[in-house]
Amino acid sequence: MHWIFEPGLFSNDSVRTALLLGAMVSVVSATVGVFTVLRGQSFAGHALTDVATAGGAAASLAAVSPLVGFIGGGIVGAGAMDAIGVQRVKGRDIATGVVLGAAMGLTALFLYLVTLQSATTGATQLILFGSVFTVAPSTLPEVAMLSVVVLVGLVLIRRPLLLSSISVELAAARGIRLRATGVAFMVMLAVAVGLSAIVIGSILSTALLIGPPASTLKVASRFMWAVSLACVLGVVATGLGIVLAYDSYYWFPSHRGLPVSFFVVSIVVIEFALASLVGRRKLARAVVVQHDPTKAPEQVGWV
Amino acid sequence: MVLGNSLVGAGRQSSARFLRRMVLTASALVLTGVTLSGCNSMSASSAGVVRAVGAENEYANVISQIGGKYVDVSAIMSNPNTDPHSFEVSTSVAQSVASAQLIVQNGAGYDSFMEQLESATPSKSRDVLSVQSLLGLSNDPKNPHLWYKPTVMPLVARDVERDLIRLQPRRAKYFQRRLQTFDASMTSLDADISSFRAKFSGVKVATTEPVADYLLAALGLDNATPFRFQADVMNGIDPSPEDIAYQQGLFSHHRVKVFCYNSQVSSPVTSALLSLAEKSGVPVVALYETMPVPGYDYQSWMSAEISALTKAIEHKTSTVRI
Repeated sequence: MHWIFEPGLFSNDSVRTALLLGAMVSVVSATVGVFTVLRGQSFAGHALTDVATAGGAAASLAAVSPLVGFIGGGIVGAGAMDAIGVQRVKGRDIATGVVLGAAMGLTALFLYLVTLQSATTGATQLILFGSVFTVAPSTLPEVAMLSVVVLVGLVLIRRPLLLSSISVELAAARGIRLRATGVAFMVMLAVAVGLSAIVIGSILSTALLIGPPASTLKVASRFMWAVSLACVLGVVATGLGIVLAYDSYYWFPSHRGLPVSFFVVSIVVIEFALASLVGRRKLARAVVVQHDPTKAPEQVGWV
Repeated sequence: MVLGNSLVGAGRQSSARFLRRMVLTASALVLTGVTLSGCNSMSASSAGVVRAVGAENEYANVISQIGGKYVDVSAIMSNPNTDPHSFEVSTSVAQSVASAQLIVQNGAGYDSFMEQLESATPSKSRDVLSVQSLLGLSNDPKNPHLWYKPTVMPLVARDVERDLIRLQPRRAKYFQRRLQTFDASMTSLDADISSFRAKFSGVKVATTEPVADYLLAALGLDNATPFRFQADVMNGIDPSPEDIAYQQGLFSHHRVKVFCYNSQVSSPVTSALLSLAEKSGVPVVALYETMPVPGYDYQSWMSAEISALTKAIEHKTSTVRI
């Protein structure tokens, strides 16, 4: 085990904060992510990360905590996308794309202004690719609180959200307020994106949001099982990513460690590849057992 | 007045005629402006004032110490509240580079935008003095903050004097006299460095970034921070958790006497270290990338840093702003 847990790993303050942060953020991202993938809003999720990036850059300019910027930016973006019609399936990609482009333009402006008026170095790195080892331990309570708020919110709107995610017509027929549900979800999505931005950066936060749920939906056939597995995959990716980044210091004689974000994203991709292999076999079996080509095997027993 | 007339008459004239008149007026104004500014610059150089640019304000300062009233110097990087490593060029910078007759730049990748601007506006009458090539350094010296080497500025001053004499041969005496004054003041700075070294050689200090490493070495101080950590901070990437923990240990175990803090290159890591140093009772000395203005010239800036270090070692006094 020594080669996994290099000396000083657990006594290092940065690592401890990073592991706690990573675990909380992965659980929130994975849970929100399952709904995001089911609703086919992965692209909207990615656009929100770009708006969060602009928020993070603005926060750097205003010298406030990047977390405030990421989440504030995300919520503004969610509002903008709702206003120009991200709920409609038709034209949704266009609305999302417009918001995305505008957000990146603002990011470029803010990051330029940061270089003009502050001595802050590495703002671009911190905002785009994350700096989990440099997060102050005092951020932990804020992250914990936001995580609880999002998870409780999801539990409260779970039924209408799930139904409207799987069939808009069915949900409308049952009297579910689609727009209110959609907006509430977008806000939670914005917070989740903001949280994962402080771990792996805003640009990469889509990986944590979409990756574990996408892997899970290839293999899981029950909703709670899907959410739990996504959480486990997310926590494994961030935890192992952080440990490997710490260890990478000892891999080269120059003692140049590699970035956490690289490891986390790589593990997410490996998980997805493995899940695809397992999922393909399972799908084949399910189709043989059910003999019912009108039902997609993954959807059985979910609502 | 012409413009005023055409605006008053606009109502009565056909719009096409009005438009034509406006265009003519505008072009006339532009042409006058161009001629006037052309006259300005020509009269300036015929009156014997050399237009010079220092890419960093410490080099601009040395140019003006040698050139005096016969140079018109502008500095490109001079804001003490920003990080020169993340500087981005604006059009006004491009303009002052294009019209300069003498340029002093650091080189060593610190101000590579200067080379781009110079090749974008080629000029035969422009002298470009790169400190990196003056010192015969490789293309990638690990630490680009060459002006902190106490031996560098006398060389720069000598070359600036030579170039100024070439551009303004009639003022040769004047430039020579000012170079002598400059060299004399550098001699007293050297004396300060030697006496510091005699007293405090081998004292251990910590740093955030390599900005003043050349000066610290000349002062005989022992920089306990690994260069890898300093380079990471300089380049705006995260130092590894191992290096952060090592640096924290320097303060919490009181292994260093002074924390030399680059106040122009800050990040969450350096700010956290700053408060840890203060909590552990390690005095902090603020260092700068560019010359803090107003109130300093190159020599007084360097002696202010040296006396801040002296106060930190002798009396445990912090200097968070020189």
